[in-house]
Amino acid sequence: MSDVHALAGAYALHALSDIERAAFARHLAECESCAHEVAELRETAARLADGTWSVPPPRLRDNVLAEIRQTRQLPPAASERVARGAAPAAGGRRRRPLVVAAAAAVVLAAGAGTVSYVAQEQRVRDERATVAALRAESARVEAVLAASDARLHSAPVTGGGQITMVLSESLDGGVVMLSGARPPGAGRAYQLWAVSSGAPDSRGVLPSGEGGATRLIDRIRGMDTLGVTIEPSGGSAAPTEPLVASVPVES
Amino acid sequence: MGAQMIRERLAFMSDGANEGPRRADHLSAAPAPPADATAEANELLRAVARGDEAAFTRLYDLVAPRVYGLARRVLRDPAQAEEVAQEVLVEVWRTAGRFDPARGSATAWVFTIAHRRAVDRVRSEQAGAERARRLAATQGETPYDEVVDQATTRLEQQQVRRCVQTLTGLQREAITLAYYGGYTYREVAELLGTALPTIKTRMRDGLIRLRDCLGVEVAA
Repeated sequence: MSDVHALAGAYALHALSDIERAAFARHLAECESCAHEVAELRETAARLADGTWSVPPPRLRDNVLAEIRQTRQLPPAASERVARGAAPAAGGRRRRPLVVAAAAAVVLAAGAGTVSYVAQEQRVRDERATVAALRAESARVEAVLAASDARLHSAPVTGGGQITMVLSESLDGGVVMLSGARPPGAGRAYQLWAVSSGAPDSRGVLPSGEGGATRLIDRIRGMDTLGVTIEPSGGSAAPTEPLVASVPVES
Repeated sequence: MGAQMIRERLAFMSDGANEGPRRADHLSAAPAPPADATAEANELLRAVARGDEAAFTRLYDLVAPRVYGLARRVLRDPAQAEEVAQEVLVEVWRTAGRFDPARGSATAWVFTIAHRRAVDRVRSEQAGAERARRLAATQGETPYDEVVDQATTRLEQQQVRRCVQTLTGLQREAITLAYYGGYTYREVAELLGTALPTIKTRMRDGLIRLRDCLGVEVAA
């Protein structure tokens, strides 16, 4: 796991994508010395804020003080209550709250609309619908990321970029993220395929023209490989182009 | 990613850093945090966790300029920085009970939240950023070293700055692009034309060197 461990610096600098971040947090939960190293690197990174001193507008103070008077504080034990709803983790009770907390952090950020992954790709005009969709999506993403059997897989994409996925066999679902791939062209889109012994079966089409997006997928049991092709917008019934990426699911 | 695109992105990085003379209130040098300021922040945050509004007000005065300054540094847009700073400071009030002193100092806890929020915001506003980037790209290019300088001169007269200077060029570039630019390590690798594993490693060993130089310790 030394490769994962090398991400400690990027993690402390918030330089990981959400999925990688969740995967690294899982690693942290199983690695006591890593958790200590990360705590120190995070403390170190925070010192980089020392030089960013800038006097805020005076109204900020008034606004913040007015808002906290109307804001209920979370009890210290809140993370334990979140943990109770999670699937039991194989590693015993110590690691569970950590894993869940990490996934919850991803999801809280998503719920607040500050995380880009769904917001960017959906481009839903109605903001309320977006928020509702984000919350529902977030709950499913959270479940996958927090699953005790969640596994991370990734592969490069032909022409640039990376495809990363977290799969949970027990939930029969996964989160797939395409990042940094070249735009597929006007009227074209990346499509995901579950590949096993039979014909490739579609697992969704990414937004037209986008070279980066995140998708929840289902029915992942028995899948040997996740394949990616470029198809006309809206997708094809079967792949019409060669695979541009293929992520093997080794068990 | 082609060289042209990298130059465009670097030009965007420098947008704002090159916006000409800044108003004096945004120039004020940060006083080096007194040794007991950290301890004071820890005490204050514990009091805030018990719902002490007066303690929160004092904590606000202690951290708000850096929370706002950091958001401004990452986001470059004063209005967005103000919004993010407000979210962060209210979040500090709301979740103060979750602060665990065994995992680090109160100030680091606050700035970690602030950095995370600022970075999330900058990534979610990518459409806007793309616009700004194109705009910046048409206004000429900025040599990369200058960008890094802009980031590091903010640290003037501080221990942090001295320690940042002890890093290798690549360590410093990787860390400042990620921290102040809000870039992911993949983006940093592309920007610097350097292999991903190298960037990962430089971020980690660079931070380790900074940690040792600053004498940062967290009780095991």
